[in-house]
Amino acid sequence: MMKDMENKMKRRWGMAIDLDKCTGCGECAVSCAQENNLPIFEDDSDIPKKMTYLDVMRITNDRDAKFPDVKVAFIPKMCQQCEGNDPKNPQPPCVSVCPVVATDTGDDGVVSQIWSRCIGCRYCQVSCPYEARVFNWWKPKYEGSFKKSLNPDVSIASRGTIQKCTFCSHIWKKERDKAVMKGELDINAVLYTPACVSACPTGAMVFGDLNDPKSEVSRLARDNRAFRLVHTIDQKKPDEQKKFRAIKNFPNPKVYYLSSKQWIRDLMRFK
Amino acid sequence: MKKIIDYLKNEFNSYSKNIRITLMVLFALVAGFLIFGIQILFWGLGYTDMNNNFAMGIWIIGDLGLVALGGGAFFTGFILYIFRNDKLEPLINSTVLLGFMCYLFTFILLVFDIGQPLRAWFGYTYPNWGSHLMPQSMLTEVVWCLTLYFCVLCVELIPIALKHKILDSIPVLHYIGHYLHKLMWIMAAVGTFLSFFHQGSLGGGMWGVLYGKPTWFRPHYFFLAIVAATAGGTSFMLLIPKIAEKVMKKKVAPAESFQSLAKISGIMFIAYTIFRIYDIVVMSVKYVPLADRSFIDLWGGFFGIWLLVVELACCAGAIVLLNLKKFREQEKFLFYGVICGVVAVVFSKFDAVLHGFSVPNFPWKGFTGYFPTIQEWVVMLGSFATMALIYMWFAKYMPFFPHLEKEKHKEGGN
Ligand code: SF4
Ligand code: SF4
Repeated sequence: MMKDMENKMKRRWGMAIDLDKCTGCGECAVSCAQENNLPIFEDDSDIPKKMTYLDVMRITNDRDAKFPDVKVAFIPKMCQQCEGNDPKNPQPPCVSVCPVVATDTGDDGVVSQIWSRCIGCRYCQVSCPYEARVFNWWKPKYEGSFKKSLNPDVSIASRGTIQKCTFCSHIWKKERDKAVMKGELDINAVLYTPACVSACPTGAMVFGDLNDPKSEVSRLARDNRAFRLVHTIDQKKPDEQKKFRAIKNFPNPKVYYLSSKQWIRDLMRFK
Repeated sequence: MKKIIDYLKNEFNSYSKNIRITLMVLFALVAGFLIFGIQILFWGLGYTDMNNNFAMGIWIIGDLGLVALGGGAFFTGFILYIFRNDKLEPLINSTVLLGFMCYLFTFILLVFDIGQPLRAWFGYTYPNWGSHLMPQSMLTEVVWCLTLYFCVLCVELIPIALKHKILDSIPVLHYIGHYLHKLMWIMAAVGTFLSFFHQGSLGGGMWGVLYGKPTWFRPHYFFLAIVAATAGGTSFMLLIPKIAEKVMKKKVAPAESFQSLAKISGIMFIAYTIFRIYDIVVMSVKYVPLADRSFIDLWGGFFGIWLLVVELACCAGAIVLLNLKKFREQEKFLFYGVICGVVAVVFSKFDAVLHGFSVPNFPWKGFTGYFPTIQEWVVMLGSFATMALIYMWFAKYMPFFPHLEKEKHKEGGN
């Protein structure tokens, strides 16, 4: 029994996305929407009001450039599972602001969200620098046979609440339950793959434990092609970083992007 | 029933044409407020122009504006009861009512603004207090301070209502009113204490803690908002009785009351402007560069730098017109001065919200725009119309301006 209680989560889930491999097919976004029961509306061309956790953003080197000078890439962007300055005591920009504790950071580092607790004030949405949180502007709708394909592991949110990517935490719970049935009681023994990662046809997305130095994702995060989305403090010298951190927190995301193209890396900072 | 309709008709026809038109517009707005309010509450915020990029809109600007301007109530009460500047006494009833309404409608607009109004009570039952003395979430602080201060304002309002002839003739109510009035300085002190916190939190702190966003993050924003509220709020508390004076064509308070309040507002505007300039300087040299961005680049887009220019120009206007005796003593300039003051504070909220949301988060995105839908306009203007109607009703039927009552008695005596 004692031993079970010591079975604390030691995982720190993270992701690495290779932009040079991503073709922008959108498979990840579709499987995410399906896995997480995101509604579809008649007019989903109203993109700013759309319900989507994973947004495949299209970027280009120069909007007015013509072939062959134009370069295009796609950035699949979901919640970056920020940690704040101190990974031991994670403080994402969006968590401390919630007036009703509807969002929190688990000890696996995943930023959770309880739709049924959320009052819909959107303060967390405002504070997120990655536009990763979406609000149910309309009552979620599931037309026709779509209703039958709803995922029973994810609860459906009501209108007027915030939802966000949770790295498909429910899949981990399900995998753990399965492992327990087989007699495996150590939570840390169980790994999982979120829906977007399993759907990616080119293998551009890699998911895993950043605490495990041998994991693929850890290796990629240390790669010199890796960078984080609009997080320029990473490029500063260590003493400068320290000085900056003394003044304010930084989001410090756990999602890494990889690219060898200089124009993409250049786009990661405001001119 | 017929009698009531006849009475209302006669009452309505007894006003001048301009007042009748104003009343009609106000009532139309109130009706619109009810209709669109129901639509928003029952069918959701999809009908607004807010979206996942521009997540808060005109209502939150209204909230910030109302609370900052309503903040004049606590500051005037503070000067009157704690600093014993008795010249402000003739204006205090109007001030308390304005403060009360500003807060009431802040609540109402907040209820429209949150996606799940039926869960609004979660703010009290599951507050995000964290492990410290002060709450972790600024919004928790806003909710609690607003509620408590609103209770204080209610208590402050009771004696005014109890002074009505009919109520005052009941001995028990007379004594209650009398003693409550005596205790008002305690209320003023508690009110000041509470106000101090939520002025800071709703007006500034709420945005200042958002360290993910370079447009907002600065630790002193909390205090800046308090100073803004004392400056703009006092201007507002002067502006409204002045308008009432114009409409009623009677002196509602002695000139020295207005002068005294104008002087206070003018001095606070000097403090605010100095603080605001300091704010702009440290933002541009310290806080914005932390996010590797330049301050001036944040000021592009449709709601760009001109908001800041108007704000500072109005601050300058308020400083000159309210502090220099030769301007302040002229009715016209006093009026312009307080209008400048109110506009300056409202624009400082535009800077924060309207402009703040339009700033892109990714280098490959442009500034976004937002234009409120009819629902948002009508709910907002409808609340202002309701406030105006309540104020008019008090001014007409309640012993609201003691100065006016005294004058009436004098006329009666002659
Ligand atoms: S990306 Fe946004 S929602 Fe996700 S943890 Fe960071 S701040 Fe929170
Ligand atoms: S929208 Fe919901 S989760 Fe976000 S801060 Fe408000 S109550 Fe909390």
